[in-house]
Amino acid sequence: MNILILVLILLLSLLFPGVIGIVKAKIVGRMGPVLLQPFYDIIRLFKKGSVYSNTTSFVFQWAPIISFGCILVAAMFIPLNNYQGIFSFDNDLVVFAYLLAAGKFLMILAALDTGSGFEGMGANREAFYSLLVEPAFFILMGSVALITDHTSFYDLFNALHAQPNISYMIAIIASYLLIQITMVENSRLPVDDPKTHLELTMVHEVMVLDYSGFDLALIQLSNGIKFILYGGLIANFIIPVRFGFWSSILCFIAIQLVFAVIVGFLESFKARNKLQKNPQWIITLIAVALMIFIAVLIFSEKII
Amino acid sequence: MIYLFIVLYGLTLVYFGLSERVSRFVYLLSAQGLILFALVFESLHETQLIELILILIETIVVKAILIPWFLNRLRKRNHLKRLHESFLPVFYNVIIIVFIWVLSFVLGNNLNFEELHTPFFSAALASVTCGIYFIIIHKNVFSHLTGYLIIENGVFLLSLSVGSKFPHFVSLAVLLDVLMGVLVLGLFLNKVRDTFQDISVQSLSKLKD
Amino acid sequence: MIILYFFILSVILGVLVLVLPSKKMNIMAGIFYVIAHISLSFFAHHHMDLTDSVYFKFDHISVLLNALLSLLIIPTFYHSKLYLQRHIRDVKRESQYIAAMIMLFTAISGVYFSEYLVILWVCIEMTTLLVGFLVLHDRYQTPIEASWKYLFISSVGIAIAFMGILFLAAQISDREGANLSVSYLMSMASTMNPVFLKTAFILMLAGYSIKLNIFPLFAATIDAKTVAPFPVNAIISTCLVNAGFIGVYRIYSIISMSEVIFWAQKVFLITGLISLIIAAVQLFRVKRFKRMFAFSSMEHMALILIALSVGKVGYYAAILHLVFHTLVKSGLFYQFGQIRALYNSGWFKDTGAYIKLNPTGALAFILGLLSITAIPPSGMFVSEFLIFKALFSSGYVFVGIISLILLTVIIYIFFKNGLHLLYAEKPENYGQQKALSNKYESISQLVLFGLVIYLGYNPPAFFTDFIQLAISGIN
Repeated sequence: MNILILVLILLLSLLFPGVIGIVKAKIVGRMGPVLLQPFYDIIRLFKKGSVYSNTTSFVFQWAPIISFGCILVAAMFIPLNNYQGIFSFDNDLVVFAYLLAAGKFLMILAALDTGSGFEGMGANREAFYSLLVEPAFFILMGSVALITDHTSFYDLFNALHAQPNISYMIAIIASYLLIQITMVENSRLPVDDPKTHLELTMVHEVMVLDYSGFDLALIQLSNGIKFILYGGLIANFIIPVRFGFWSSILCFIAIQLVFAVIVGFLESFKARNKLQKNPQWIITLIAVALMIFIAVLIFSEKII
Repeated sequence: MIYLFIVLYGLTLVYFGLSERVSRFVYLLSAQGLILFALVFESLHETQLIELILILIETIVVKAILIPWFLNRLRKRNHLKRLHESFLPVFYNVIIIVFIWVLSFVLGNNLNFEELHTPFFSAALASVTCGIYFIIIHKNVFSHLTGYLIIENGVFLLSLSVGSKFPHFVSLAVLLDVLMGVLVLGLFLNKVRDTFQDISVQSLSKLKD
Repeated sequence: MIILYFFILSVILGVLVLVLPSKKMNIMAGIFYVIAHISLSFFAHHHMDLTDSVYFKFDHISVLLNALLSLLIIPTFYHSKLYLQRHIRDVKRESQYIAAMIMLFTAISGVYFSEYLVILWVCIEMTTLLVGFLVLHDRYQTPIEASWKYLFISSVGIAIAFMGILFLAAQISDREGANLSVSYLMSMASTMNPVFLKTAFILMLAGYSIKLNIFPLFAATIDAKTVAPFPVNAIISTCLVNAGFIGVYRIYSIISMSEVIFWAQKVFLITGLISLIIAAVQLFRVKRFKRMFAFSSMEHMALILIALSVGKVGYYAAILHLVFHTLVKSGLFYQFGQIRALYNSGWFKDTGAYIKLNPTGALAFILGLLSITAIPPSGMFVSEFLIFKALFSSGYVFVGIISLILLTVIIYIFFKNGLHLLYAEKPENYGQQKALSNKYESISQLVLFGLVIYLGYNPPAFFTDFIQLAISGIN
């Protein structure tokens, strides 16, 4: 069953970017790509060779693989309903966050490794935005851990769903916050426009500007899996424990699809922020997380 | 459910700090009115029906619909600037507003009165302080009006936290205050706009020595 | 129910004046209102210490202040007539002015007599609106700026004062027979949580400080007084300040029933000292008469607060000082109306040689100058002497010395500007406009200053007894 969750995550990660693309196209009235277009792109890239520059070193070549590995391992922590992820132990939400951060850190190092000005600038911005959004994630997860007195994903979600009145409130606000955090972590609008072709305005795309072939395919796969990871967290907030096994799997798929549609909507209707405004937009997420934290403190009678 | 609405109220305060377009202020005020309506609905159980209906009508009609509509009309008629001007960058604004919110909850926790319903009290204190901070930071007279309305919402929250013995008195007084403030101040804004070409506060300092 | 009838009467009068604008209507409404207000004063005196329809009460301090208001209505209407003749010739604006003045007097009387804290608060709000309208006499920049600032900051201040009332209400909300009247709160004060009392006191002091013209919210009201027409100024510098004082007095008498009173006295002392220092410092930079008089109001209010902070020995001096300040400041403003008309400007630099141009007015002005700076034979000398006697005998020597030094500074500034007005060279741009002058105009000021001298040095027994009874309300 645990392996089934991982397989589900991998399969959905191939569909997710396609759904976003179709939604965005339909909103503006275009035909849009085929649903599995990103999958075909990845297969095509796997068949190609890679070109490496002379100024890069081993970091540049190893970073995408290690990053992909980190993200895969992080995917093994996500539980569903009554079933743990492949790994589950105390404080594993910290390990989850830091695995993702380790992957990102290596990508940043690799970007700096190329010696190009554009990648350095992108790495700078990416590091700054991750710095600003990490407290939001931790405060949110920390508040849920505070209410449920557990720190492992599996125990946390089980205990949360045992208290129905607060789980609704937390589910609504946590979903809202996690959607915003996803948009920042995956470098989507309004923080970063994945479709822009101007390097000076890019954040994540410019970090991976020099990758080709196998490495680029791995990076696109990792992007897709990261979406599903956060979507999996949202699904865990929403799906109550009393659903049966197959209905919770169906719910999981449905929630991921709805998540993809929401991301598509948000991308279509927002313009990308001015770059100076990005930090203040991201800091708002920490503010929202702090509000939730204080509400949790009140509710659990630790204060007031 | 009360905690959800208090968190949402705090979120509106943070978004006040974040938003730069003046029209967003009006929508946020309307959202605050709706949240106050929900809070009144949840918390005032012991009062008689007629007073409850009066307070509900006041929040939803006056605070959520009438006043934002009036402010919007004011903004359009006077062709006010789209962006607000402030003395601090928006980044620090958000941090300070969150800091005020956290501080008032810590204060409420330390005081821990039995007579006041403390989450309401802390939210009210945060709202009044954020309203005053808002007035200090912004240069535009329209933003000052918005800050005044945030203070009024804070006073309304405080009156909710006091308990339900005098609900009619309290809500009528707040309604009078809000109406007086917005009607008079809003009507006044037209006069200010006619005489001064812009409504930045720096043009309003001729009376200093 | 009398006060309610009085309210209804004044509303009807105001509406009539607005709806039928004509000079005759204005004069008749004015005379009718004066008669009604004076009869209200007599009625209140006759029904001392009784409540009137539960929301209002005629106690000694309110009857005293209302009597002062009645006394000042007559010269205010007279000088308003002169002001309207000189500056406003449009009948519609005249009737708006008269209607607003009538409503303002009514609202101030409402503040004096109200027994419920919320009614007091509502009446103070009404005064805010009316003063905001009255200050706006022309459409150029300074009146609009002053009026906007006054309305806005007053609204914020009154919201803060309302928070203070809510804190008091929080304490009594679960007892039977609870209401927000001053007498009930006074009886319950010793059982309340002191933190609540302190918070309510600070919030109400800060909120009403815009009416009372002290720190922290003094700036807007000083600006309003710099711009207001002089009859309006005579009222808002004296009777409206008294209304703010009544608001603070009520919460202070509630507090006096508990042990928070010592802390409250310290707060009064600090507020008074800070206001005095600010007034003295700001007076150096002032270049207009009205602004100078406004800061002088601030200084006298600061002295009253310092007198209240001393304790029982200072209460008599505080109320006496309040009464004298009312009479003297209004007299000064009426005199200023003449000065303004003669020189067509209110700035110091445009004035000079007043003693040659208008000897009677100059005599009244000299008397006023001596009175406001508390130099004998002014009655204010007596009240300030009593204040300082109370200060020194209670051991506040340092405070007394600082206040005396600051008062010396203020005397210097007053005399510098006053003597410039009286004895300097005639200004070059004088005489370009012929001002309507009226030889009976100085009579009101001479009467008022004479009254202050009389009440200071040879007060009739009923006056002193009245004040003693007024302060007996505090513990």
